[in-house]
Amino acid sequence: MTIRFPALVKAKIAGVVGALACAAAIGGCGVQSTVQQMRQAPTNLGDDAIVILSRKHKTQGETEDKFVACVSEEVNTGQGAVAVLTEREFVDATFPWFEPRTAPINMDDLVKVLNRPLVAGRIREIGVRYLVWIEGATQRSDQSGTLQCTVVTGGIPACFGFLSWENGANYEASIWDVREGTTVGMLSSEASGTSFVPAVVVPLPFIARVRRKACTTLADQLKEFLEPA
Amino acid sequence: MATLGGVVGGCQSGASVAVDITVPRPLVEQRRASVGVYFEDALTTYAHVEDLDDQGAYEIDIGASQAPVFAQVFDALFADVILMEPEAVAAAPAGEPEEQTPTAAPTPFRPADGGEAEVLGVLAPMIEEVQFATPRQTGNDFFEVWVRYQMRLFDTDGALRDEWQLIGYGKAAEQNYIDQSEAINAAATWALRDAAAMLAFELHDKTKGAALQQRDAP
Repeated sequence: MTIRFPALVKAKIAGVVGALACAAAIGGCGVQSTVQQMRQAPTNLGDDAIVILSRKHKTQGETEDKFVACVSEEVNTGQGAVAVLTEREFVDATFPWFEPRTAPINMDDLVKVLNRPLVAGRIREIGVRYLVWIEGATQRSDQSGTLQCTVVTGGIPACFGFLSWENGANYEASIWDVREGTTVGMLSSEASGTSFVPAVVVPLPFIARVRRKACTTLADQLKEFLEPA
Repeated sequence: MATLGGVVGGCQSGASVAVDITVPRPLVEQRRASVGVYFEDALTTYAHVEDLDDQGAYEIDIGASQAPVFAQVFDALFADVILMEPEAVAAAPAGEPEEQTPTAAPTPFRPADGGEAEVLGVLAPMIEEVQFATPRQTGNDFFEVWVRYQMRLFDTDGALRDEWQLIGYGKAAEQNYIDQSEAINAAATWALRDAAAMLAFELHDKTKGAALQQRDAP
């Protein structure tokens, strides 16, 4: 069997070499990130815990479970770690008041829910002081190039070409104080980067970890917000 | 790589899931009322089967979860919950066919344990329809499941006193699951949980089951 190099692959050889040089130079693809913070009220966590929740009522762009889990873990570990109740533990403990169709979407709704003695009592019992609502997602855009795979002699697969794309992660966190029934602040975390996959027989992916970057920066910001020095 | 991914995705054909869950006990004030519940076999063995063009056969078995889910809600809402059955079943000798549709003709209910009980009414959920959708059908990111129930409230003599529709909806983002069976299971689980949440709200806030409310003496 003869391996035929698609014309496009030949045209992309220079790009592949350039990409490899880029990867070698910068240790993968650069990720730029930005965090912003708006404080509306002081915080005083003390020995209480927080819970990090995602909005589930949207039909598109729902926050990934992995992102919520990542932020929860990062906030719960390392320097300035904060006690975090998992999303599942919280919604189970307060069932049915924080389900996708019933969760309060603004402070007025939250106050109505907290006015129910059973709900307020349960939240006190599980020691949750702040709810952190996360919205946003990581999206892929501006893909270019092609990658073609074929089977060569001996049944061995081989790929040729060059793919690249932009990844953008945009997340916002709104922090609610369930004891006071107020919004105490908002944080945002944005990260973007270019990923590429050059392939000469073997694909060699260089992935921009924008979601991971957005997660760690948001988590660090959240810890700083809740436990100001 | 992208091409290979597309081929792998295209190979997914059909799924068979059995949803076996319960829900947390709803956080609602309990009413000092005694009610009966009746779970017919059509409810507790319900499975939705559908053959989708180009996507294969799907089976979503949600029957096993019905009694645990509804029992959890009713137990939280009412001080006494008595499992009932139509007298025709209780009186029928072993091997006789079971009466499945008490709406067809009034059939008195009696406690399933053979004892005596005074209840305000008998709540009997029934599944009218189940629908589901895949991301390939809708073009969005989710596997979705809808369960449409007819909630019925009978007198102990079998007369239908009230009925209303209850809809449970659940979705599961494709990106969060390894395969579609897992995603459909999650969507169906959320649908049952959503139905339980809605039922707890409706009965707790007394917006449904009006006949039951009238007799809910303190």
